[in-house]
Amino acid sequence: MTMMNALSRHLVIRGVELLGLLTLAVLGLTLGHSPYALGLLTLLAIYAISLIGLDATVGYLGQVNLAHAGFMGLGGYAAGLMVAHFGVGLLPALCVSIVIGLVLGGLLAVPALRLEGPQFALATLSFGTFAVLCLNELESITNGAQGLTLVRPALLGKGTLDALSFYWLCLALLAFVWLGARRLMEGRWGRAIAALKDSPIATDAMGIGALRHKVLAFAFGSALGAFAGGLYAFNLGFLQPQAFGYELSVTLLLGSVLGGRKTVWGALVGAGLVVLLPNLLSNRSVFLVFAGVGAVLAIGRALLAASRREWSFAILAPALAMVLLLGIALKTPDLESWRKGLFALILFAVVVGLPDGLMGFVSQTLARLVRLPQPPLPPAAALDAVLPVRPARGATVLDVSGLKLYFGGVRAIDGVSLSVAPGEVLGLIGPNGSGKSSLVNVVTGLYVPTEGSVTLDGSRIEAKGLLAASRHGVSRTFQNLQIFGDLSALDNVSVSLRGAYRLMWPLVAAGLGHAEEQAAQSHALALLELVGLTEKARIRARDLTYSDQRFMEIARALASRPTLLVLDEPAAGMSRPDVAKLKTVIARIKARGISIILIEHHLDVVAELTDRVVVLDGGKEIAQGVAEDVRRNPLVIEAYLGSAAHTEAAA
Amino acid sequence: MDFSIFGQMAESGAAMGMAYALIAYGFQLTYAPSKSVNFGQAECVMLSAFIALTLIGTGMNYALAVVLTLLAGSLLGMLVERVAVRLALQQKNEGWILLTIIFGLFGGSVAENVWGRDDRPLPTPIPGDPIAIGSISVTWYEISIVVGALALMVVIELFRRKTLLGKAVEAVAADPEVAGLMGINSNTAIALAYALSGATAAFAGILIAPITTVGPTMAAGLILKAFSVAVVAGLESGFGVIVAGLVLGMLESLTSVYVGSGWREAPGIILLVAILALRPNGLFGKATVRKV
Repeated sequence: MTMMNALSRHLVIRGVELLGLLTLAVLGLTLGHSPYALGLLTLLAIYAISLIGLDATVGYLGQVNLAHAGFMGLGGYAAGLMVAHFGVGLLPALCVSIVIGLVLGGLLAVPALRLEGPQFALATLSFGTFAVLCLNELESITNGAQGLTLVRPALLGKGTLDALSFYWLCLALLAFVWLGARRLMEGRWGRAIAALKDSPIATDAMGIGALRHKVLAFAFGSALGAFAGGLYAFNLGFLQPQAFGYELSVTLLLGSVLGGRKTVWGALVGAGLVVLLPNLLSNRSVFLVFAGVGAVLAIGRALLAASRREWSFAILAPALAMVLLLGIALKTPDLESWRKGLFALILFAVVVGLPDGLMGFVSQTLARLVRLPQPPLPPAAALDAVLPVRPARGATVLDVSGLKLYFGGVRAIDGVSLSVAPGEVLGLIGPNGSGKSSLVNVVTGLYVPTEGSVTLDGSRIEAKGLLAASRHGVSRTFQNLQIFGDLSALDNVSVSLRGAYRLMWPLVAAGLGHAEEQAAQSHALALLELVGLTEKARIRARDLTYSDQRFMEIARALASRPTLLVLDEPAAGMSRPDVAKLKTVIARIKARGISIILIEHHLDVVAELTDRVVVLDGGKEIAQGVAEDVRRNPLVIEAYLGSAAHTEAAA
Repeated sequence: MDFSIFGQMAESGAAMGMAYALIAYGFQLTYAPSKSVNFGQAECVMLSAFIALTLIGTGMNYALAVVLTLLAGSLLGMLVERVAVRLALQQKNEGWILLTIIFGLFGGSVAENVWGRDDRPLPTPIPGDPIAIGSISVTWYEISIVVGALALMVVIELFRRKTLLGKAVEAVAADPEVAGLMGINSNTAIALAYALSGATAAFAGILIAPITTVGPTMAAGLILKAFSVAVVAGLESGFGVIVAGLVLGMLESLTSVYVGSGWREAPGIILLVAILALRPNGLFGKATVRKV
């Protein structure tokens, strides 16, 4: 039965998808005789390709990208100049566009890597402006502000291509990009980029690679932008640098947000709006109806909220914007002169009123009305296949020697040496501020030590970064959780699996990633089973309980098959039954032969599970040994409770 | 190289640089408490200049018109905060970038329809004839930009440091949650910061209008450079903007002479991308430690 349901879900989603593309095809057949309508339809397909690219950064990476128009311009000029100067055909010219987008997009992503929010927006805005500036000023090549007139060449060389054939080409390319992008973005790529959005630190610590995926997302998106730019050049047959400036970037950005993020459908709907809105203004009565309907809907929603006493600016503002829109539309004789202002009001209403975009709204509403069952999960793999028991080899896994870490004048770690044997559980305790978290942050590669060495399995890993530490076999959980909140528990684990995804991206885009995905899911399920989260595999990580998020982080940390696992206060905030469960989980992990460093304040957990305990205070080791001995050590008692002398002096 | 041309261009660039610094200072004001800046600031500069033009056009006393324009700028800033920033900050997302861009779009459209698309001169009592200092001629407009920008920055800085209200904004900048626990309304503090930022935009509009004239796109090019200045100096670093502004203004002016007038935007952009790549916290900003 579930099999049937899953199949029907698949058919419904793909069917609707096909319907969308077919509609465009039918429109092309019926409107093909009108050059104006055909031009608009072609533009729609081109913008849709561009917006699918933009969604990689805006939707998946969650950053405001204002360079996209610049990439369209560069791609357009690259293709145009190839045709104008070298007489190549349409397809080779478009390939050049893609390469330009990939290379420049990848290059821009490197400096933009460390940037978030406004800085990222500014960096991309600058790039976009600079691209237009160069196109304008390099007159000898681009003909500058006067523009470049182009003839649309045949696919591979001599001759020209008529408008209708060009439309079919654009539509076919859109279908191609659509399918490929959906497969990539629903697969590990998209999950890795979404993970990066939620926690770059955990993305590196799990060995996924933040830099790689940020560059990938940006290069992929920019390549599609440049590709769309190439098509754009031959749709109009005329290129001008100004066309690719700030206004187009903003228009594309808003198209992406209007349509909806993280969905290929959103790109199509957004493209439709971007193409059709300017035409809406040319017909006054149509626009008035549009504005009227919009105002009624927005006011209706506000009144509904008011009747439930849910007043908020977010509910009221769209209604105000739509009323203002209607007011301006009724009053002004010339809608065109208010073009930007009317757009701004519509955009404002949508951005505030429907934060997930039109498609987000539609799909949420549909999901409420029609429940399509999820496809079934594969059976969990055997744990031995995912985490083979590690034989105890060699004397030590981890060697830390003479470690110092200073922040300005603060000595967070002041000369600590310790080692961890294969399969050993080392407890790391000490009062708050004693340097425990700093120590594991150095071991896992987050901090660069001021002095000293960290050796893992014979390789020096200090100062090489989170990703390198992960590659050498360190994995960790976080005291302050670093979950990938938008992903399900299962995806949190599967995206972190080492070596599970080996297929080249073109093959994934071609739809060959299914077997690999099934195998990865069954491996991830085995790890979720280990921590007792099998039943909650499908739940979005941010909706899990706090304890379950901690357990999920443990499963995720195991996905990279570590030799050394660092658990940073795993029991913090857990209820008593959950702590008991945690103990069994840690014991099971130990049984796989994985060495563990356990930072913990629950001393019963420490006493029960650790082979040895190291006590830190003030950045120095003050005691070590088995838990029982350490507990009775006067230095340790003093560090936790203060010495008798201190207490008396204070009294 | 002819030194007098060099000096002349450096001087006029420096004057423009102070205008960038003033707007960049406005960005810093809002970035500190809210981690957001107004991407529609160009339109605030422009709308304020139009308001000044209208007020002076009624025959109003120049000084009074300036004061009223500053007030109008503050109100605009507060409007931006209310309709575009507060909501997005509540949702803890980057939506404010979009919403302030949309606000700018709307502001531009309003100006085009209310005041028209033409560029118009702003009547000003500041004399137009230049004075010569050595081989360099300096206009009173340029002097007014430098003096005015510095004066407003000093006044706002005194307000921030010496008054209780100013310290409340600083407290929100340091830690909004703790400030909230201490009874400071962070929304009000952010609104105040936006009002101050709006005032800097308005004053910048009045100061540059005699040189650029008043029109719907008068500040469009200015804003990216002000962003560059703010980022190069560091979005949280106070008076670094003056140094960055002067350097960028001069570089730009010299580029337009020695490389080509079309390339005058280039130094700001290159500087901005380079600084973002190398020192994301700016030349004068402090690096922060990542904590997990």
